Amino acid sequence: MTWAVRFEDVTKQYIGEMRHWHLRHDLVRIGRKILSQLQGQVREPEKRTALDHVSFEVQEGEAFALVGPNGAGKSTALKLLTRISHPTRGRIRLRGRIGALIEVGSGIHPELTGRENIWLYGRILGMSRREIARRFDVIVDFAELPHVLDIPVKMYSTGMQLRLGFSIASHLDPDIFVVDEVLAVGDASFQVKCKERMLELLKSGKTLLFVSHDLTAVETICSRGLYLLDGKVQMIGDVNDVVRTYLGWVDARYQERMRREIVPSSSSALTIENISFHDEAGIEQAAFRTGETVEIRLEVTASLPIERPIFSLGISDGRPGTLILCPMPVDAQAPEVLLGPRTVSCRINRLPLLPRVYQAWCSVRSGRTEQDVFDWQVVGAFQVAEGPAGNGRAPASHIHTDAPIHTEYEWQW
Amino acid sequence: MSNAVELVIEGGRRSSLVQGVRELWISREVIWAFAERNVRLKYKQAALGVAWVVLQPLAFLTIFTIIFGRMVHLSAGHTSYPAFALSALVPWLFLQTAVAFGAQSLIQEGALVRKIYFAREAPVLGTVLGSGLDFAIGLALLFILGPMLGTRLSWAVVFILPLMAVLSMLATGVAMMLAALYVYYRDFRYALPLLLQIWMFASPVVYPLSHVPSHLRDVYIVANPAAGILDGFSRTLAEGRPPDLGLLAVSASVSLLIAWGGYRLFKYMEPGFADVI
Repeated sequence: MTWAVRFEDVTKQYIGEMRHWHLRHDLVRIGRKILSQLQGQVREPEKRTALDHVSFEVQEGEAFALVGPNGAGKSTALKLLTRISHPTRGRIRLRGRIGALIEVGSGIHPELTGRENIWLYGRILGMSRREIARRFDVIVDFAELPHVLDIPVKMYSTGMQLRLGFSIASHLDPDIFVVDEVLAVGDASFQVKCKERMLELLKSGKTLLFVSHDLTAVETICSRGLYLLDGKVQMIGDVNDVVRTYLGWVDARYQERMRREIVPSSSSALTIENISFHDEAGIEQAAFRTGETVEIRLEVTASLPIERPIFSLGISDGRPGTLILCPMPVDAQAPEVLLGPRTVSCRINRLPLLPRVYQAWCSVRSGRTEQDVFDWQVVGAFQVAEGPAGNGRAPASHIHTDAPIHTEYEWQW
Repeated sequence: MSNAVELVIEGGRRSSLVQGVRELWISREVIWAFAERNVRLKYKQAALGVAWVVLQPLAFLTIFTIIFGRMVHLSAGHTSYPAFALSALVPWLFLQTAVAFGAQSLIQEGALVRKIYFAREAPVLGTVLGSGLDFAIGLALLFILGPMLGTRLSWAVVFILPLMAVLSMLATGVAMMLAALYVYYRDFRYALPLLLQIWMFASPVVYPLSHVPSHLRDVYIVANPAAGILDGFSRTLAEGRPPDLGLLAVSASVSLLIAWGGYRLFKYMEPGFADVI
């Protein structure tokens, strides 16, 4: 195997924030700069680093994914690769013709007819006349537009324009093709078509670089990947591992945010000062593994006396519905009257939950008045992190986004 | 595919003149596509279409003839004033169109610049090339209308080829320079029409070169490379005489310098285009 794309220690910096440049401002700035240099001060202009010493290699014929949160530098990397933008430092090496399916349709001009657009946009993308002539019918058929070929594109529906743009771009016949979020546009049938075209190109031995927030698509299409965060490479490797690591980060950050936003929560009678999650040994943890024991500890302060308090704890994964509900049994040794500070805890043995972030919900009722003194609400969050896979290797994105309950199972033929 | 050409993108500023020219040669189809697109759009969007190309010089010609020919009594020496004015207007309008639209071309194609790669010179060069069609139509008009206005045609007409080459070089250089600056400084939207207006009155378009005081003429010709070229055009087209070759040599040298400078500036600013456009 030989490589098709190589990033060698690539850095990309943007100067200052995005803004329009003004001659007047710049003249003033240049004047100031000269002045400060005369005074012996050297001030570096403010720079935003979008990619920070990034190196990786994509093999010929491979489908390679770039994952990471918004602003991590994925699209910047693709822009450098497709030569739209220029790296500040480092070196990018490419073998073969490169084509991009980035936000298709920007080259389609509404005043021109479909036919004219194919001829002109095709050539701007780098196809020769001969190539266009050879592929013209295929492009038209793929876009499903033979009947409107000679009317201006402004008369087309949005979907038709999209199909035309994608069809032209995807018949460029590159050796390396780059796909950035095209699956996010268009209707369902168009998305299926895009995906099919991508797989078709892959099957014919092309190299693919893929950016998408649809991690299920990332895992089904790609074999290897790169996880970027703040412009730095966090991980390169098997796509499952990369997605898993990335989702772990997403969960941890989500949990952190929940933690900051929720506690303390209070009603007129009761305040939950703190909620903490502990392992079997009683040590506080933020993350657990499927099958472990979790003890949820609540530090509460009752500002009014609550007679025969009954606590309920529930766990959800953020979607509607409670996955686990642990109401306090009536015969639990609850105090007759709760007033002032107190700690109460609930222990869940063998947590049957798959990796992701879970919310803890709580409500408190008085057993005597049968009235809620603390309404059902989110009071905390904890994470179930990726552990040794119990049921073999399933795609990480499924584990993280599909059904949350874990059971032992076995397939037989 | 292992035999595919390897492309190396080096960080930082780039690239040598030779590399740049080679890439332009590779991009010739793209340049041509931009030219074709411009021409098609120009004639599709404007209601009068091609007629504008003819109307514009005719309108200017009428105004100039009334004001400068009749009211100010500007004489054109060897030929009638209208003949002189038309023969200078046609090349001037090419220069003006090429520079004005060339300067805006990158901004106009901003969506493309942000999203796909092509040689960034292509929209500018395509626009200049597209303006060439306007020039050809203007020239046809001049050949048809000229004899009625008093133009004298002779063998000297062959000089329009080198004159056109020099004029195109100048137009390209200025357009490249302004296009690059325009990406960063939108102030040019307001400055550009004014600059072009000043340039026109600083060129022998409304008055012949012979009206420039002789002690200023050397400065005039070096400072404004369009002067020698436009004078050459009016001599060949209106008077049927060959251009002043000394003058043309000066203008050609200055134009070459401007073209080179414009290209270097463009290349210097190019790496940032997609980031700021």
